[in-house]
Amino acid sequence: MSEFLDLELQDGIRMPWNVIPGTKQDAANCVVPVSAIYTPLRPNPAIPVLPYGPLRCRMCRSILNPFCVVDYVAKIWVCPFCFQRNHFPQHYSSISESNLPAELFPQYTTVEFMSTAETGPVVPPVFLFVVDTCMIEEEIDYLKSALAQAIELLPDQSLVGFITFGTYVQVHELGFGLLPKSYVFKGTKEVTKDQILEQMCFFAGKTKPTTGVIAGSRDGLSAESISRFLLPASECEFVLNSIIEELQKDPWPVSADQRASRCTGTALSVAASLLGVCVPGSGARIMAFIGGPSTEGPGSIVSKSLSEPIRSHKDLDKGSAPLYTKAVKFYEEISKQLVHQGHVLDFFACALDQVGVAEMKVAVERTGGIVVLAESFGHSVFKESLQRIFQSSDNDLGLSFNGIFEINCSKDVKIQGIIGPCTSLEKKSPLSSDTVVGQGSTSAWKMCGLDRKTSICLVFDIAKKDGPDAISQSTSNQFYFQFLTYYQHHEGQMRLRATTLSRRWVAGSGGVQDLIDGFDQEAAAAVMARLVSFKMEAEADFDPIRWLDRALISMCSKFGDYQKETPSSFSLSPRLSIFPQFMFNLRRSQFVQVFNNSPDETAYFRMMLNRENVANAVVMIQPSLISYSFQSGPEPVLLDVTAIAADRILLLDSYFTIVIFHGITIAQWRKAGYQDQQGHEAFAQLLKAPREETDSIIKERFPVPRLVVCDQYGSQARFLLAKLNPSVTYNSDNPPPPGGDVIFTDDVSFEVFMDHLQRLAVQ
Amino acid sequence: VDVKGLPRPLDGDEEPTKVLEAYPLNCHPRYFRLTTHAIPASQSLVSRWHLPLGAVVHPLAESPDGEVPVINFGSAGVIRCRRCRTYINPYATFADAGRKWRCNLCTLLNDVPGEYFCGIDGSGRRYDADQRPELSKGTVEFVAPTEYMVRPPMPPSYFFLIDVSVSAVRSGLLEVVAKTIKSCLDDLPGFPRTQIGFLTFDSTLHFHNFKSSLSQPQMMVVADLDDVFLPLPDDLLVNLVDSRHVVDSFLDSLPNMFQDNVNVESALGPALKAAFMVMSQIGGKLLVFQSTLPSLGVGRLRLRGDDVRAYGTDKEHSLRVPEDPFYKQMAAEFTKNQIAVDIFSFSDKYCDIASLGSLAKYTGGQVYHYPSFQAVTHGDKLKHELSRDLTRETAWESVMRIRCGKGVRFTTYHGHFMLRSTDLLALPAVDSDKAFAMQLSLEETLMTTQTVYFQVALLYTSSSGERRIRVHTAAAPVVTDLGEMYRQADTGAIVSLLSRIAVENSLSDKLDSVRQQLQLKLVRSLKEYRNLYVVQHRIGGRLIYPESLRFLPLYILSICKSLALRGGYADVSLDERCAAGFSMMILPAKKLLNFIYPSLYRVDEVLSMEPDRIGGSLKRLPLTMQCLDTGGLYLLDDGFTFLVWLGRMLPPELVNNILGVSLANFPDLSKVQLRECDNEYSRNFMKILGTLRERDPSYHQLCRVVRQGEQPREGFLLLSNLVEDQMSGTSSYMDWILQIHRQTQS
Ligand SMILES: [Zn+2]
Ligand SMILES: [Zn+2]
Repeated sequence: MSEFLDLELQDGIRMPWNVIPGTKQDAANCVVPVSAIYTPLRPNPAIPVLPYGPLRCRMCRSILNPFCVVDYVAKIWVCPFCFQRNHFPQHYSSISESNLPAELFPQYTTVEFMSTAETGPVVPPVFLFVVDTCMIEEEIDYLKSALAQAIELLPDQSLVGFITFGTYVQVHELGFGLLPKSYVFKGTKEVTKDQILEQMCFFAGKTKPTTGVIAGSRDGLSAESISRFLLPASECEFVLNSIIEELQKDPWPVSADQRASRCTGTALSVAASLLGVCVPGSGARIMAFIGGPSTEGPGSIVSKSLSEPIRSHKDLDKGSAPLYTKAVKFYEEISKQLVHQGHVLDFFACALDQVGVAEMKVAVERTGGIVVLAESFGHSVFKESLQRIFQSSDNDLGLSFNGIFEINCSKDVKIQGIIGPCTSLEKKSPLSSDTVVGQGSTSAWKMCGLDRKTSICLVFDIAKKDGPDAISQSTSNQFYFQFLTYYQHHEGQMRLRATTLSRRWVAGSGGVQDLIDGFDQEAAAAVMARLVSFKMEAEADFDPIRWLDRALISMCSKFGDYQKETPSSFSLSPRLSIFPQFMFNLRRSQFVQVFNNSPDETAYFRMMLNRENVANAVVMIQPSLISYSFQSGPEPVLLDVTAIAADRILLLDSYFTIVIFHGITIAQWRKAGYQDQQGHEAFAQLLKAPREETDSIIKERFPVPRLVVCDQYGSQARFLLAKLNPSVTYNSDNPPPPGGDVIFTDDVSFEVFMDHLQRLAVQ
Repeated sequence: VDVKGLPRPLDGDEEPTKVLEAYPLNCHPRYFRLTTHAIPASQSLVSRWHLPLGAVVHPLAESPDGEVPVINFGSAGVIRCRRCRTYINPYATFADAGRKWRCNLCTLLNDVPGEYFCGIDGSGRRYDADQRPELSKGTVEFVAPTEYMVRPPMPPSYFFLIDVSVSAVRSGLLEVVAKTIKSCLDDLPGFPRTQIGFLTFDSTLHFHNFKSSLSQPQMMVVADLDDVFLPLPDDLLVNLVDSRHVVDSFLDSLPNMFQDNVNVESALGPALKAAFMVMSQIGGKLLVFQSTLPSLGVGRLRLRGDDVRAYGTDKEHSLRVPEDPFYKQMAAEFTKNQIAVDIFSFSDKYCDIASLGSLAKYTGGQVYHYPSFQAVTHGDKLKHELSRDLTRETAWESVMRIRCGKGVRFTTYHGHFMLRSTDLLALPAVDSDKAFAMQLSLEETLMTTQTVYFQVALLYTSSSGERRIRVHTAAAPVVTDLGEMYRQADTGAIVSLLSRIAVENSLSDKLDSVRQQLQLKLVRSLKEYRNLYVVQHRIGGRLIYPESLRFLPLYILSICKSLALRGGYADVSLDERCAAGFSMMILPAKKLLNFIYPSLYRVDEVLSMEPDRIGGSLKRLPLTMQCLDTGGLYLLDDGFTFLVWLGRMLPPELVNNILGVSLANFPDLSKVQLRECDNEYSRNFMKILGTLRERDPSYHQLCRVVRQGEQPREGFLLLSNLVEDQMSGTSSYMDWILQIHRQTQS
């Protein structure tokens, strides 16, 4: 297990199979696909930043790396991917075994290149705020103060734009200065880029070029006309603050039986076009702050009449959500435009009801945007998350822009696609597999927005056919992978991070133990979670439970130790032993049991799953539970109802929510205020311990999780109970121990699940 | 004939106040005057009266003798005739011991409401008649109860639509407009209910949010000209008191707001639609400041300009009417929603006043034209006229109807209004600077009554928010003698009506034909008169005319030579011609007469007098070159412009004193600004200008200086106004008289 974490530390990668099933058939038998979860910008101070550009193979364009065979005498290197022999250029002429460039150091499998000669000057990032005003005054006030704080934290040189919307869209001309000025667009109408150019007077006093693409200062727009709308944060702070201060609720009247008319779609489309006009190709993000569902114009998700509820999973299933498909299509178009321009959409949705995250997911995910979902703009989940985006600290996000991700692999490996925040650039190559998962049919992807945590899941395809001929053809039993990430660093310069990996492959029946030894069950659980979510969205009539069960049974049949037809003889290697429990909890998780949540919540959970690393994904699938008591120090306990005891405090971390649960005795003491009395310092300390742990989790996590502090038998206790294994339910034979708890559910417990699994695996 | 002996109206308008001697219960003629205070009894008599038969109405004329009495009938309700809806008036008679009253217009016997009952004396006069103005005065005002309202009385509201394209910025217009409006804010009528709003525009529309809770206004630009919409439901037209600080802040910023604007386009049509949307709930006054030809969106206008080839053809008149029906349609919408439009036009190029003006024409508005506006030159004029427009007492959401007794009927109306039914004039706003004219016809071949009664009723909302009815009642005798009609003729009224008819005819006919028709009317009328008296007076070849019409030939010659009707292509710019036409349609008689026959004074001789004596020493001179002494300094005042003429031999030091600069150093007189200088001549001279301006505050005369012999300015500015002289194809007064004489003989 720890060797996988070391590998992740060095290269930001985790793979379910670290020894790779070497043929197409072997790979198929292994059920969990050959895949990787890669965090391209994972911070690691050991990674060298090289002040020059990379050397490339002249055949396959891959980059010189530690796995290349080098002939120091002839000054030649051999590409491990295509075996092309490449001459070193003049400036590498002093190369020798004792004088290696950093990219050939064996420990530098991941390096970063930063050459201004190659990547151009530093460009400041652009932040375009898009702010909903259809809210009650209280929410507006919360949002105002959050925005004011955020603006204070903006890096001085970054450019800022400001759009508000409700019934109409208002683009604020921050550069006007004299008084607040904005351009207003109807919410019901789509606005094209040409109309933006025309109507926002980008050509006032000048003649419009008759031909050619007009966009950006390089292509016909004057810098002055752009700086009317996008200004350095340091220059427009005053104007921006006064606009925010006087921000008013959308003034159009709304009758009691109606929803506010909110043209989110048009606002986002205007924002996208404005960026497309002003700063195409340079790092920019639209930060949308949304307080309710879109009801006006393209991209609306529900009618204005309150008598029509917002679509549920049931409606989507039955096809009775009349606006859904149209809206998704609209946001798909926006995502295409944004990807083309290289811009990001971030979404901050704060409302009690749904706002349309399910429909807009495509635009956020394809552009690598951030999404935060909270009940109110006053909630700490929103407030603290927003601050974290701009705050510079050890845990800052390191927002980066304009990424392009490319891969190279040994020729027997193909790429099916990526599940994660990116868009296929449709660059078909011999590397791209015919079967597609996620964003595929390519060997290059656009990652408009990416940060230190962005983790993508690459799904490979082993192309090598079975048979002795095929095996002997290869000169080595290693597969090589190279991941190249070009991106605009949060400090402005363009960089290229290159990770090159090598993994041994095995073929045939003799390799089972090798495969087991290389199996990373956490990575496998994370990949399976992404896969099942993807399939639920992409495949009609997909039955996730059946699919997961069959996968698990096949895995256990193939890799378990047992005598045929004897369930009691079944055992699993420690490498695989927790995997069934992961699958048990995945089946019960929000990713699969969608009917317990709204479509917006499901979309949100999946988006987070699709951008998080393995460790966090595992917490989402199977929350961690820590017990605090006088008897022992903090200790992890089974995620089971039996963990509850009257004199314990439980800390449940399910990633999105953290629950501090006081057993009934602890709760009574706490209510009585013992912690504040002399002589009860130990109790105070006991109460404080889970709080401190929580604080340290919150510090690292983005978005900031929601914290629930509750007592046994209290109404909030459901947040804990829902996640626990129902080993004791209301219809159990044996009652809980005193101070214990039961769960009101008909769900099967893990023990029952395992019994079934063992029975089926040994058949 | 001796030129010097020809009659000249050097005392201006002669108000027919002697009518009041015979009819003391009539309203004062400043409100209502007939072209002849003798109604012909028969159709045949009418056909022999070749001049127009009709009236001039000036319903809100300012009266020197104070307030019009206001009557509140309370629970009795406004007393009106059950059949013809005439308001009770001094000519109504009482019967049945005061329990009934007889309508003087239709003779119906009406019940007197119990609350209004009063006994009568032997002559049928009510005992309380002297205490009741409605029974003793020709002009009264009734407080109208709720039956006279379709909605609560509107607050006075002023909405400004300002073209801010590059020419408005460069001419300094914005600064003058902003400062002037700001200086008037305390004096706008209707405190504390007054509403105000602004919309600026170039190629886009700029709305301004004046919400009272804001610290400064917010500008919102709408650029979708094909689908104009309001960016806000409220706060575009706001209560002035509540939002005063926001409005002040807006007006302070307005000149700077667009100082870098290089936009040359002007989307007036869409801006009008937007203004309509803002104002349609309340109504009010829309003041449009237009600096260039509308170039974008609906109502965009072509640079059709003037066309020499059109003159003398059937197409000539089309230059003077709107090409695009948009403006008339828009005007109809405005009127329907109680919006009156005033046009302030400033272009240095053609800007199609014909089209723009129709907005004012059909909404009871007014056209102000400042060609080639420059703040330094025209700033004062604009400032005064805009201030006047904003602060004068205004009647809102009004309608006017003129009832008359049996046998006669008003058929056509001339002025700025929208005719709502056959006889109801819709006037979204009306004020003391607006007069109307109308023509009368006989309904029966023979009139049987002795007297015909007229009653003008203007129903309006006062600035203070009261619904009022202003009523003017007049009686006129029915006559069978044409001579009596001539004796009772009122030249001022005739010229008012004739000039309006002529201006309207110029919208459907060639200028030349319009002038010929005027001449023909004059000739026929004088011929008829001649026929009437030629035998008994044995006058032979002499030209005779009735005393009452002695100035008519000269006035008609003046109409023909007025800006609106004179010459052809090159004589007046098309926009100026149209603007003058719009002005002539609303001017009260006195101002109209002075506009077509301006006042000319010699001033150098009075400059050294005691300041108090100067006013009385100014003598009007005939409008002929012969009056101009090369050693003199003359002033021509047509009500809109002062022309200062410097004789060639005028002593240079006098010139220097008045101009404040030496002529030698300042050869371009078109750029001279007259300001008071530190010397007696200048002070006195400016005092004269001030006195003349005070006499008529409705317009502010723009002062222009020209030197004798300075061509072509002298010709254009002065000589063309010397209507008695012969000028390029026009007759001199003498020739005119001889011509008319000849034609009356044949
Ligand atoms: Zn290669
Ligand atoms: Zn009557």
